[in-house]
Amino acid sequence: MAAGVAAWLPFARAAAIGWMPVASTPMPIPPQDKRKAQDGLIILNVSGTKFQTWRTTLERYPDTLLGSTERDFFFHEETSEYFFDRDPDIFRHILNFYRTGKLHYPRQECISAYDEELAFFGIIPEIIGDCCYEEYKDRRRENAERLQDDEEMDMNNDVTPVNLTFREYLWRAFENPHTSTLALVFYYVTGFFIAISVMANVVETVPCGTLPNRSKEMSCGDRYALAFFCLDTACVMIFTVEYLLRLIAAPSRCKFMKSVMSVIDVVAIMPYYIGLVMTDNDQVSGAFVTLRVFRVFRIFKFSRHSAGLRILGYTLKSCASELGFLLFSLTMAIIIFATVMFYAEKGSTATKFTSIPAAFWYTIVTMTTLGYGDMVPKTIVGKVFGSICSLSGVLVIALPVPVIVSNFSRIYHQSQRAEKRRAQRKTRLARIRAAKIRGTNAYMRYKQNGLLIDALEEEAGQALVGKAASPPFESQHHHLLHCLEKTTNHEFVDEQTFQANCMEISVVNKSGSRTSSLSSSPHGLSSCCSRRHRKKSSFSLPSTNNQELSTIQIRERPVSNSRSSLNAKLDETMPLKCDEAYISPSMVRLSAPVATSSDDASTATTTYSQSNIVRVSAL
Amino acid sequence: MLTMNLEGLEMIAVLVVVVVFVKVLEQFGLLEAGYDDSVEDELELSAVRHRPEGLEQLEAQTRFSRKELQILYRGFKNECPSGVVNEETFKDIYAQFFPQGDASTYAHFLFNAFDTDHNGSVSFEDFVMGLSILLRGTVQEKLIWAFNLYDINKDGYITKEEMLDIMKAIYDMMGKCTYPVLKEETPRQHVEVFFQKMDKNKDGVVTIDEFIDCCQNDENIMRSMHLFENVL
Repeated sequence: MAAGVAAWLPFARAAAIGWMPVASTPMPIPPQDKRKAQDGLIILNVSGTKFQTWRTTLERYPDTLLGSTERDFFFHEETSEYFFDRDPDIFRHILNFYRTGKLHYPRQECISAYDEELAFFGIIPEIIGDCCYEEYKDRRRENAERLQDDEEMDMNNDVTPVNLTFREYLWRAFENPHTSTLALVFYYVTGFFIAISVMANVVETVPCGTLPNRSKEMSCGDRYALAFFCLDTACVMIFTVEYLLRLIAAPSRCKFMKSVMSVIDVVAIMPYYIGLVMTDNDQVSGAFVTLRVFRVFRIFKFSRHSAGLRILGYTLKSCASELGFLLFSLTMAIIIFATVMFYAEKGSTATKFTSIPAAFWYTIVTMTTLGYGDMVPKTIVGKVFGSICSLSGVLVIALPVPVIVSNFSRIYHQSQRAEKRRAQRKTRLARIRAAKIRGTNAYMRYKQNGLLIDALEEEAGQALVGKAASPPFESQHHHLLHCLEKTTNHEFVDEQTFQANCMEISVVNKSGSRTSSLSSSPHGLSSCCSRRHRKKSSFSLPSTNNQELSTIQIRERPVSNSRSSLNAKLDETMPLKCDEAYISPSMVRLSAPVATSSDDASTATTTYSQSNIVRVSAL
Repeated sequence: MLTMNLEGLEMIAVLVVVVVFVKVLEQFGLLEAGYDDSVEDELELSAVRHRPEGLEQLEAQTRFSRKELQILYRGFKNECPSGVVNEETFKDIYAQFFPQGDASTYAHFLFNAFDTDHNGSVSFEDFVMGLSILLRGTVQEKLIWAFNLYDINKDGYITKEEMLDIMKAIYDMMGKCTYPVLKEETPRQHVEVFFQKMDKNKDGVVTIDEFIDCCQNDENIMRSMHLFENVL
């Protein structure tokens, strides 16, 4: 029951008195309205804009925020109104929903902002009225596509994890030629051979002059048969190899074999093999010649290389219904006009309109405004109907064409948007990275300041240096990060330190005098390096392995419980780390384990490796 | 030179040419086709709008308090911004309360009962007068109102056919999915029971006095008349 007619419920109940005399059994007792709803005004203050409505209006929808007791959470005693810190422009529509029972979607609002507001106020978007529902759905679909594009790009641009199987690697190389140089080379080579093959097919039919002992002009294909055969063989071999490699690398072979591109590949190379198998039999060579026609399908292999071709194909597929309608209406018109023309021209002598199917050709040529002129009507009646035919032809074709064009334009713009987003990706990620570095640096400074002050406080017993005035939000955030550090016994460092650490440990890796104990630490470190690689969402180039966007870096450091002299040395350095300002040069941190490890090659034990808590070295 | 032996297709061709000629002339405005519709369109623009009498007058005429009248009017105007309810809107509103069945017939009878001046639309005054009787009236007034509802042609007698219509309308509101299953003759049987009870002198019609007498003697009916008194 729409709440808009809730106001008429008293009327409906009163009208039920009309049933009473007719009823044969006693009526049930009406529900007691214990809480006589005070019909008061409610003030809703949304970011300063005051909305007022009756209480009963809001309570029409008791399963939303405003209609239930949930709104009491937002009650502001001092001003005795309900305060919501949300967008007043969108709230207007939400309140109108309570008033009229219809939810509208304002076209100028961003779809995500609107969705958020609806979710906040507990209103399901499905009740948007018919007038605005389509627009809402369209915008939502666009938004979802955009997000999906982003995600796909993220997945596609993952850096190659080192432990891909060969098969997956091969598939990746085929699908994204830009991932490795080998794939790129292969991509260009196949493109080149496709072009060569198509051109050879075309050229071999060109007349090439006569041989001395023949009078007839020969085509180039016959004259240089061997050369063309060798070229064809080479191309087919390349295509076959490519197809087999794709088949091997495909994650789902059945799906791959059913896909359009693989069918085109097969069709492109089959004629050659069939030609090899068949002998020079006269009967089958005719069929063989026909098979050669299929060689022209090689040109479709270009669609892997060209995005525009793919878009065109996709457009045609998505406009299938419009194309079907065009075809149907054309067929109808052709049949009608062909019949009329046939009977109109029946009387005239030596007419070309010998039958209705013969008239089809005239009708098609006329309706598509080609007008070859090989068939023309001679009688006046024929001419009248012929002119009507050509006029209507223009109309029938013009109708579905704009639909197809608009579809193509939409898909094309979508792909443009995707390209633009890919281009902007670099700047976007750089911006994100810069922001993160700023955050880390701010945090480092906070720690320096904080600990410096702590140290000074311990010494002097009072704060001598005033803290740099940082906003309370930031200081609380930093305090939180600090608590996290203390909890996990790890610390935050910035990029250069981490990269330096990585280099150092890799150097240590290379040096032969590693012990089993320390083997765990660089392993942990390299594993953490590689873990970073897997987790990050950037497109980092293969050359710089250490690029990352996250700032938590881990460096292994033996803990102080072991008996080895390694720890004695580290004990000395520990106070330096914890209490004082982090001004010790990073190399001290780094060199300590390196130096000690080389000393202590023999005494390291497994207990040492067991009690290896990973600690972070900080600046 | 026109020869008189025009064959079939040639006739059609000539016809086509003439039609095209006429259309072209129309385009040039030299031949006007009938266009009486445009005048009628303008009349529809001025929609019917009705403003009710003042609050004091309504307060005097009905038994509702000022506040109650305000609440009633707000609900009324919300659903019918033009101030009057026509039968279609009335049926729509009533149908929303009974989604399982078809409430249009009963709504039609209700509409006639509310539309006391029979002008095809229920204004706010009609609405509120009717409600005043139903919710705040004496039992006598309610019974008279019910009698007027049943008496479709308003001739002072309820015949079996009228009652059958009303009964069918009420059963239609139940819809198909009932338990026990609704049979064809149920309304008729119900009408028989009703007439047995109400028609004292067995003349096949129920007059208003018979009706009121009988209802006042029936406890169930008396009790149910007080059911909806505190609806508003």
